[in-house]
Formats: sequence, C-alpha cells, structure tokens
Amino acid sequence: MTMLRVRDATVRFGGIVALDGISLDLNRGEILGLIGPNGAGKTTLFNCISGVIRPDHGSILFETNDLTYAPPHERARLGIARTFQNLQLWGSMTVEENLMVPMDALGRRNTFSDALYLPFSAYAERASSERARAILHVLDLGRYARTPAGDLPAGIQRRVEIARALAMRPRLLLLDEPAAGLDAQETAHLADLLHAVRERFHVSMLLVDHDMSLVMRVCDFVYVLDFGKLLAHGRPAAIRDDPKVIAAYLGEESKKPAGDVATVATPREGPPLLEVDRLAAGYGGLEVIRDVTLSVRPGEVVACIGANGAGKTTTLRAISGMIHARGGKVTFAGKDVTGSSAERITKLGLVHIPEGRGLFPTISVEDTLRLVSNTAGHEVDPAPAFDLFPKLRQRRRQLVGTLSGGEQQMVALARAILSQPRLVMIDEMSQGLAPTVVRQLFDIVRVFREQGIAVLLVEQFVESALDVADRAYVFEHGTNALSGPAVELRNDRKLVTGSYLGTAVDATAIAANGNGHHIDPALMEILSVRVPAKVKRALEERAENEGRPAGAVVVELLGKVEDQ
Amino acid sequence: MFRVLAALVAFTVLARIPVGFDVGFKFDAALAVIWAFGLLSLVLLTGYVGQISLCQATFAGVGAYTAGLMVAGFHADYLVAVVAGVAAAFVLGVIVGIPALRLRGITLAIVTLGIALVFDRYVFQDHAFEWFTGGTAGWRVDQATMFGLQMDSSKHLMAAYIVLLALFCVVALLMVNLHDSGAGRRLRAIRDSELAAATMGVNLTRYKLLAFGMSAAIAGLGGSFYPLVAGSVSPQPFWLFTSLQFAAIAVLMGVRYVPAAALGGVFMAVVPDVLTRFGHGTFMGRAYDISYDWFQIAVGVLLIVQLIALPDGVWGDLRARALHAWSAAGALGGRKVKVA
Repeated sequence: MTMLRVRDATVRFGGIVALDGISLDLNRGEILGLIGPNGAGKTTLFNCISGVIRPDHGSILFETNDLTYAPPHERARLGIARTFQNLQLWGSMTVEENLMVPMDALGRRNTFSDALYLPFSAYAERASSERARAILHVLDLGRYARTPAGDLPAGIQRRVEIARALAMRPRLLLLDEPAAGLDAQETAHLADLLHAVRERFHVSMLLVDHDMSLVMRVCDFVYVLDFGKLLAHGRPAAIRDDPKVIAAYLGEESKKPAGDVATVATPREGPPLLEVDRLAAGYGGLEVIRDVTLSVRPGEVVACIGANGAGKTTTLRAISGMIHARGGKVTFAGKDVTGSSAERITKLGLVHIPEGRGLFPTISVEDTLRLVSNTAGHEVDPAPAFDLFPKLRQRRRQLVGTLSGGEQQMVALARAILSQPRLVMIDEMSQGLAPTVVRQLFDIVRVFREQGIAVLLVEQFVESALDVADRAYVFEHGTNALSGPAVELRNDRKLVTGSYLGTAVDATAIAANGNGHHIDPALMEILSVRVPAKVKRALEERAENEGRPAGAVVVELLGKVEDQ
Repeated sequence: MFRVLAALVAFTVLARIPVGFDVGFKFDAALAVIWAFGLLSLVLLTGYVGQISLCQATFAGVGAYTAGLMVAGFHADYLVAVVAGVAAAFVLGVIVGIPALRLRGITLAIVTLGIALVFDRYVFQDHAFEWFTGGTAGWRVDQATMFGLQMDSSKHLMAAYIVLLALFCVVALLMVNLHDSGAGRRLRAIRDSELAAATMGVNLTRYKLLAFGMSAAIAGLGGSFYPLVAGSVSPQPFWLFTSLQFAAIAVLMGVRYVPAAALGGVFMAVVPDVLTRFGHGTFMGRAYDISYDWFQIAVGVLLIVQLIALPDGVWGDLRARALHAWSAAGALGGRKVKVA
C-alpha cells in the first residue's frame, strides 16, 4: 500500500542539478532509509517532501493528495510531521508547550476565544496538555515537561523533536539526521526508540542519516542517492553488499582488513611543544573540565576521545584562549600562555579549528585563504594550499557558505596550514561528513604530521582517530582518565574493529559510529560510563582508595569479567 | 482568576493615584495609559511574535486622527470614534504586515521605519491629507460625547483617564491570557523558529498578519483616545521619534512582559514632564536647567545600562529575581514553591 509517491523530482540550484529525476515509493507502516554521500541530494529530496523547497519538475503524492506545491502547514494538516537536523525546538517554551503547539495548530480554536479563555478553549487546553504528557511519558521525557526546551542537552532535545512531531498525530514522520551529534550508545537507544514509536503510534517513517548502523538497524528499505541520482534501492542487507553503493559511499578502497596498522608510531623526541597541567575551565556556574593534564610533542598527532560532554571541546577552548582557564597551567613552545588572548596564542603558532569550522560564509575560498596573515604579518599566497586541496582550486571563486561540509572543512584545514602553525587543534573534524570525505581529511592530517606540524584532534570517530594518532587521551567526566600510545589502544582487544556498513551487527556490538566502524561495547562503557549510581559510587571509592582514575578500574574489572 | 483579581486591584489602585494632583499630572496620567497601549502593542508584536516594528506611533497616530475625524468631522459619539480608530489602525497593521511575511530582522526594521517616516512627514503633515488630519490646526475635539455624556477634555480628564485605564486593564488581561493559550503558543513558536512553526502546522501568513493587525489595533486603541485627552490632534506626538522611543522603552522595561508596558507608559509620560517642571532652579548656588532633551539622553544611557545589567528588561529581570527570592524563602520554610 503506497503512502508517499515521489515521481521524477528534479531540483536545480543555479547551474547545479541537486536532484535529477528521483522517484521513490514509501509503503504504509514502513521505515524507509535515504542515504548517500555528502552532497548526494538527500537533504534536497527531504526538503521537497517536507515542503521547504519546491521541485522544478516532478510530483509528490501523499495518499490521494498532490503535495507538490502545498505549503508546509498544509502538509502538517494531512499528517506529515518532521524533525530537524539542526534542532529547531522553540527554545524559550517548555517541552510541554512545544508539544502543544502542533496540537492546537491542527485544532479548531482561534485567537479571540483563547484570549478570552472561553470554556471550549479551556477544555481544549486541558486535553492538549494531557495528550502532551502521555506522549512525553511514552518517550520517557515526562520529567522534562516543565523545562524550557532550549535548556536541555542536545541528545534529549532530539527526543523532544520526535515527541513534538508525534504530537501532530502524523501518519508519516520525516526524520532528518536524527543521530547527528549522538554518541554510539545514544544512537543505539534511538534505534530502539524508533521501533517503539512505530509500534505505539502507527507511523511510517522516512529517515535520512549518515549513521549506517542506525539506517541498517532501523530501516525496512533503503534508497541510495549519489550526485542527485538514484544509485540503488533495496533491503538493507542487499544495499550493504551492493558494490556500487560501497564504492560511492566508502570510496574506492572499500574494505580494509581488520587490524591493519597503517602507521607505527615513532616516539617523538624533544621537549613537549604543548604542556597542559591540571587545567580547569567551565561556563557560568558549571565547571566542565578539571585536572586535565596532557602534552603534545613537536610533530606528534594526539587524539582526545570520549563520550559527548566529557570535556574534550572545552579543553581545546581553554588551551587556545577562547575561554578562560580557571585553574592549572598551559605552556606552549616554552611560554606560559595561561590566560593569554586567543590572538596572541595564534601568533605563537597554535591554530584552533573549532567545531563548526569558524568560517565566513559570504567570503570566497580564495579570499578566505588570503586573509591568513602569517607570523610575518603580510598576506600569504594560497597556492600551497591549493596544491594540497586541488578541489579547492576549482572552487576558489565560490563563497565558502555554498560549499559542502567536507569542502568547508578543507578550507578550514587549508587556512590553518597557510598560517604555518606548529600545532593545529581540530575539533570534531568529521562531524556530519560521509566516510569518503572523512578519510580524505584524515589523510590531510597525515600530511600535517609529515610536514612536522603537531596535531591535537578531538574526534567522535574513535577508530579513525586512533588510526592516525601517535597517542591518545580518553576523556571521561571532565578529565582525561586514560592515556596511551594509539597503537596500544587500537590493538587492545577491547577495541575490536568491525567491518564497514554494519555487517557485523549483533545484539551487543551496536556501538557503531558513523563511518561504519565498530567499537567494543566494553570500551563504550568506559567512554560513556552509564552504570547505576550505586556501582559508580563503589567504583569511585575504589579508584580513590587505589589512587587511580575510575576508567582504569573499569578496564581492569571488565578484563576480569572477560577472562572468566 | 488570580489574573482577573490582579487586574481589578491594579485598576482600583491606579484609578485613584492622579486624584490629588493638578491638571497637568492628570493629563500625564492619561497620556501614560496611551503610551502604555503603544508599548503593549510591542509586547505582542516583538515580545510574543518576535517581529520588529519601528512604526507603532504611526498606528497610534492613525487611530488618533481617525477618532478626531469621526468626532470633529462627523460628530460621532466618542465610542464610535474609538471603534473606527481601532479598525483603521488594524487595517494599516495588516498592510504593514505583508512585507513582514518575507522580511525579518534589520530589513523589517528599515521597512517599518520607512512607513513611520512617510506618515510622519507626508500623511500627517501634507495638504493632500487635510481631509484626514484636519489641516495644520488639527481636529479640535472639545464637544465630544461618550455614552451620551459630555466629555470635555479640560473638565473631564479624570473620566477619560478612568475609561482608558479600564480598557488597558482589560486588554492587558487578554494579552496575558493569550500568552499561555494555544494561539499564544503558536505566536511564540513563530518567534523561536519560523521554520519549525510552519512545518508543525502553524499558518505563518495568517498569524503574522494577525499579529501585526492586532498589535496596530492595540496601539490605535490608545491613540484614538488622544484627541479626547488633549482636546486636539497634532502630528508631533506621533512622529517618528515616538516610534523609536516605543522600541527603546519596550526593550528597557522588558519587551516580553505585559506589566512592563504599564511601567514604560508611566516612565514615558511622567518623567519628561517632571523634568520640565522641576528640572530648573538653583543647586548649591549654581543655576541648572534640565530640559526635556535630557530625557532622550537618559533613555539612551539607561538602555545601555539595562542591556548589560538587566538583559531581560527592568521588569523581566526584577521579576525573575523576586521569584527566585520567593522560592528561596519558600524552600527555607520547607514549602515547595513553583516558579513558573
């Protein structure tokens, strides 16, 4: 029973064909996945279906209605709800109110009766409130009902977005990258949640996501887009084995034997370039990191890994002077830079590429690169950067804001290298990017190392980060709990490498992340310790008694469990 | 019920305040309510819906001139004049709302500024619109009747004040109700994310036009009483600068809060008058003269101080602090106090 029928949808942006005659069918009760590399046209197709943009050609039918030119609120009325990749909750309103808006909007109440608080308005108000509470209860969000949505952490906000969409009593739910920004465990929870939602609310879903593990786990049927064209469609298992898909999605080098050690770290000599001693920092009344101690030697690649909210980003910010350190000491190139301005630290040769890249969207690629002033203070020639990123040479006149995410990250890296830094700190380089692009970027990091530039990486993609890094620090609850050579961490039996595209999915190895790698659940447990409070207290006590970080105790205990 | 009670108490208290004062202060009191309507219109438009407007005084002016025309030109009862004034302002508001369907932020501010300028310099002052403005002298409204009773501006200032105040309390009450109602949530949803609002079934066209229309009607309601209070209409009170002052004082007092509008109205009407009356004399042997101009400077300085110290506006931040103190006190007493 076909519910949504897209026929021959074509969208052009200027000279670029973003969608080229795509047709798609979604059956009632189905969860349909839409995947493809960056710039494949997934978001464009999604926006056509949700009504944010109109196709230049083709039609979109929902049940018996032609939706092609219907405005967004009209689609809402017909039973199509959506969530947003870049969370679009109404931040100043409570979670409950967020759910009540779509309910009221579809009801038959008006502004004047509401202002007068007439009886049927009051009745509708109570009914909406009760329904909102019921939905929140099902999604385990009940305790946040009275909290302003903007105050919640991103992971919870994602769930609230789904709850809000359900409040419309939709028959079709469009999910735009629901796993973006979630860690592996949260993604696994999301997969279960989506299955539960389908059972409880009888909705069909269209899901766009990079996270292969989620798509493979959740979807009944998958469409693969590439360069605006339909590349393949079929059951997840078939898609996973389709060589065309593997080539498009993962690039030519489709399979990499497990345990392949690309680079053996050679210990770097000399005094540390960056030394961080018991650093503490935070925002407002919140102390996010404390006792962070790490060092980076010249030419060394060091990775910081750990769950969302473990304090990795804050550490980078405190080092580069973007936020003030509240305690501890940062030494760079022999100088004490604790509390120095970001500008002075940059001039010393420490470049920070923040999360979101910190680019100027309305300036062209070439001008962005020319803006870099090196230590001598004069304009630099962008040519070396173009040699490193040939793609950017083609796009030199294009505005940065019009580039794809991967290309923007390239601009950020190119800009960093032009300033001839001694240390580059990169925050979440691969966030929101397809695996092929991510691999290219990691190759650039290797180039950095070859040129003697030290790199401090913060990464969600643990495996990729460990592949390239010499050493790594594992962050946990605002401090670095574990550290060691990347090779050891990587070859540790707790870091079992899975294969691409979620082939090795089993009940426990759900802790997969976006580029198809698997991480052993045991490590995930360390990374995002989610144990009962009682166990945690016992662990912490033990850690304190033995004078070791809690993470180390967990590793030891997990080892014992596995030995048995 | 608490809200109705609060409105009643506010009305009873405020109605008595100007009694002991001279005519000048009684005029200030009535003017304060008129300006409070203007600020209340911004609470709806900017505070609830997040739309910027720099032509609220224009809406008030259209209300004032329409009411003046009805009374002086057609000898209508003042009640009819008010209804006509509100309706005219509403229509203009909806028209101004049309560009707002596409524009937001600074561009919308510029467009509304342009509208304020056109009315200020052209409509309210040009010969072509004498039929509407009553010419350079403006409409004289000294023979008005309301509910069939004589309403002479010089003699019945208090009566006009009471009627204005009562209307303000009612509209303010409706505004507070609206905030927490379904329609209010839809309006606030537009403020927080238009994109999400549209996809969640909120008809943006309808609600934005409605917001502009209602906002203009509220400003126009205040404005339409101006002829009754002042005895005549002139362009000066509704010029561009008043619109800018509305925006500045709305932000200063807290643009999201209904009571802040009342506070702002009093501030806007009373402080300049106090300055002109008592702002000159001698202090420690030196003569000083603080004129009305100082008010503008004071508003500017206060705005800067407020944006740093009280970012949610004078009313908004003090209210938050009071609630905080209240809940802290409640916790000490072992009671749970909800902070809404």
